Amino acid sequence: MIRIKDFCYWYPGQDQPALDGIDLEIPEGQFCGVVGPNGAGKSTLCYALSGFAPHFFHGTWEGELQVGKRDVPRSTLGELAGEIGLVFQNSFNQISGARFTVREEIAFGLENLGLKRKEIERRVEETLALIDLEALAERSPFALSGGQQQRVAIASILAMQPKLLVLDEPTSQLDPRGTQEVFKILDKLAGRGGTTVVLVEHKLEWLAAFADRVITFSQGRIVLDGSAKKILADEKLLKLGVGQTQFTQAAAAVQKKKFIPRSRPLPVTLKQAQKFFE
Amino acid sequence: MHGTLFVSGNSGLHRLHPLTKLALTFLFLVFAATLPNLLWLLAAFVILLVPMSAWGGLLRPFLRSCLVVITPFVISLSIIQGFFTPGETPLFHLAGFVLTGEGLLAGLTVASRILMALGGALLLMLSTRPDMLMLALTRSGLPGSLAYVVLTSIQIFPRFQERAQVILEAQQARGLEIKVNIFKRLRLLVPLMGPLVLSSIVDVEERAMALEARAFSRPGRKTSLLALADSPGQHLARWGLLLLMLALIGWSIWRAISS
Amino acid sequence: MNGFRKEFSTFSIALMAVAIAINIGAGQIPRAVGLPLYLDSIGTVLVGVLVGPWAGALTGFLANVVWTFTGLFPQAIAWAGVAAIIGALAGVFAQSGWLKEWWRAALAGLITGVVAAILSAPIAAYVFGGVTGNAGTDAIVAAWRAAGFDALFSNVAQGTMSDPLDKIVTYLIVWAVLLALPQRLKARFGNQSGQAAKTRARKRR
Ligand SMILES: Nc1ncnc2c1ncn2[C@@H]1O[C@H](COP(=O)(O)OP(=O)(O)O)[C@@H](O)[C@H]1O
Ligand SMILES: [Mg+2]
Repeated sequence: MIRIKDFCYWYPGQDQPALDGIDLEIPEGQFCGVVGPNGAGKSTLCYALSGFAPHFFHGTWEGELQVGKRDVPRSTLGELAGEIGLVFQNSFNQISGARFTVREEIAFGLENLGLKRKEIERRVEETLALIDLEALAERSPFALSGGQQQRVAIASILAMQPKLLVLDEPTSQLDPRGTQEVFKILDKLAGRGGTTVVLVEHKLEWLAAFADRVITFSQGRIVLDGSAKKILADEKLLKLGVGQTQFTQAAAAVQKKKFIPRSRPLPVTLKQAQKFFE
Repeated sequence: MHGTLFVSGNSGLHRLHPLTKLALTFLFLVFAATLPNLLWLLAAFVILLVPMSAWGGLLRPFLRSCLVVITPFVISLSIIQGFFTPGETPLFHLAGFVLTGEGLLAGLTVASRILMALGGALLLMLSTRPDMLMLALTRSGLPGSLAYVVLTSIQIFPRFQERAQVILEAQQARGLEIKVNIFKRLRLLVPLMGPLVLSSIVDVEERAMALEARAFSRPGRKTSLLALADSPGQHLARWGLLLLMLALIGWSIWRAISS
Repeated sequence: MNGFRKEFSTFSIALMAVAIAINIGAGQIPRAVGLPLYLDSIGTVLVGVLVGPWAGALTGFLANVVWTFTGLFPQAIAWAGVAAIIGALAGVFAQSGWLKEWWRAALAGLITGVVAAILSAPIAAYVFGGVTGNAGTDAIVAAWRAAGFDALFSNVAQGTMSDPLDKIVTYLIVWAVLLALPQRLKARFGNQSGQAAKTRARKRR
C-alpha cells in the first residue's frame, strides 16, 4: 500500500531535512502508530504521505513515495484529495464553515469531488452511521463539543473513501471525554479492517490497544519499527523521550524491586498487565 | 442560524428560487431610487413588502428588523434635513434653528427610500438560507471560493466574538482598569486584540490544509447535496423583473430629462 | 495577471474568511474598553498587507456584503467600494515597505483614514440624505450642519474627525501582529517587500 524509499524532505529555506532517508513499507489494511519526541518529523511524515509536503509547503524532496499506485510527490493536491485523507489536531479549524449542518459538512468534500447527488447521499448516510453521528446530522457543526467536532472531521474525510487515512494527533486538543469518543471510532476502524491507517499519537495505551505496528521517529529518521506490543515495551522509548504506557511503567517499577522475575516481558495493554501481575 | 437573519420556514416565499428573490430585492432597490415621492414609496412598502413578508410567515421579524434599521435614519434625517433644509412652513423653533415642513418631508422621503431598499434586502435575508443563495449564484458563475469566503465568515465570526468576550473577561478578572485615560486605553487594545488576531492568522495554515484535504482546489465540476427547486415560470418571472427594472430606470431618466 | 492568480490560492482564500470574521468579531473590544473606534477593517488591512492589493480589495468588498448578510448593519453594502479601496491601499503600502516601522504604518493609517473619509462622504450625502444611520456620527454631522456647512462638507468633516484615528489604530495593531507573526508564515503570504524570506539553496548532507 505505502512504499517509501530513501525519501528526504526539506522545508523551504532549511538546511536540515525534516525527513531524512525514510524507508517504509506499510501493507494494505495495516493500522500503524507513529511515535516520537516533538520535532522528530511525525507531522512532516503525515504531510509527505498526503502530498502537502511538497505541494502545500513547497520545499524540496528526494527519493520515492508511493501510496497505492500513486506517485505522491508527482501528483497534484486535487488528485490526492479523496485518495489520501488527513485529519489534524484542531477540530474547529477542520470544519469548513461553508456548510450549515453536520450532514452538509460531511458532503462538502464529496461535492468538491463532483460526485452525483445520489452517491453523495448514500455515502453521507453510510458515514453518519459508521461514526455514530446520526443524532447530530441536522445540528450546526459549530454547536458541537470538541470531540463531536473531531468526529465530524474524521467522518468528512472517511466519506471521501480514502485508501489511506492519516491522523496527526487527533486527540491532543480534546478533553478526556472527547478523546474517548475519537478512539472509539478508531477502534471500530481498526476492527473493521480495509482502510490503511497511519496514526500519530502520544497516548501510548491507546496505540497498544489497537495498532498493529508502531514506528518511532527521531530527528527525521525511523529509529524503531515493529509490532506495537514489542516497540511499546522497548526501553529505548524512554531515552527517546516518548515515554511508556502506564502499564509498562508500573510493571517496570515492580520488577525493579525483584518481586517479579526479569525474564517476564513488560506489558503494554491492560490484559497483558493483568497477566504480568498474576 | 448562527450569525444570520434567516428564519426557517416552509412558506411559498421560502421556497422561491433564491435568484427570483434576489431579482425582487433589486426591483425594490429600483423602486427606492425611482418612485417620485413619500406617498408612492410608503404605498409600495405597504402593498408589496408587507404582504410578501406575511406570505413568508415573517411579518413580525420583518417589521422588527425594519424598525431597528430605519429608526436611527428617521431620527437623524428628520433632524438634519428638517432643520437644515430651507422652506416656507416653519413647524418648530430650537435655539435659533427652524424645523421646516419641507425639510421634514424631504428627510422622511429619504428615510422611506432607505426603508424600501433595505426592507427588500432584509426580506431576502430573512427568507433565504445564505448557502442556498450562494449555491444559486455559483450555478450562475460566481467562483466557488467567493461563496466559501462569505459563508465561512458568516459562521465563524460569532466564534470570534465569543473568544473576544473570553479575553475581555480574563483581562477584567486580572484587574484591567477601564476608567484610565484615553492613551492608556489605546495601549490596552494591543494586548487585547493582538492575541486574538494573531492566533486566528496562525490557524489559517491548518484551515487551508483541511480545505485541500476536502478537494477544495480540485479542478473540474462541483456538485451539491442541496437541491435548488426552480421552475420555467420563475425563470420567466426573473426576466420579467429585469425588464421591469430597466423600464423603471428608463422612465425615471426620461422624467429627469424632460423636467 | 500572475500576481492576481497568486493572490487567490486556497491559503489566501482561507485567510480572507478568517479576516472578515475578525473585522466583525473583534468590534466589541474597543467598545468594551470605552473607545469611540470601529476597528472593523483590521482583517481587510491584514489581507492587503499579507497577500496583496487584489486580495485586500476583495476582502473589503466581501466584508461589507457579509455585514449586510448578518443584518447587523445592512446599509454596509453601500460602502463596499470604499472598503475595497481600503484593502487595496493596504496592499500597496505594504509593497512599498510602509509596514516596517511603526511610524510609517501610522502614516499609512492616517492617509487611509483621510481617503476613506473623502470617499465615504458622498455616499452618505447623496445616497443616505447626509446621514449614516449611526447616532454618534450623525450627531457630529448635525453639529457641522448647524455651523452652516453643506451636506457633503459636513460628512467629509465628520469622517476626517473619526476615520484617521480609527485607521491609525488599525494599522498599528496590524503592525504589531506582523511583528509577532512567525517569519515562515509571513514568507508564505509574501507581499511585503524585503521581508519575504529568500529560500536558501538547500545543501545535501
Ligand atoms: N512549516 C515548516 N517550515 C519549516 N520547518 C518546519 C515546518 N514544520 C516543521 N518544521 C521543522 O521540521 C521538523 C519536524 O517537525 P514536525 O514534523 O512538525 O515534528 P513533530 O510532528 O514530530 O513534532 C522540526 O525541526 C520543525 O521545526
Ligand atoms: Mg506534530
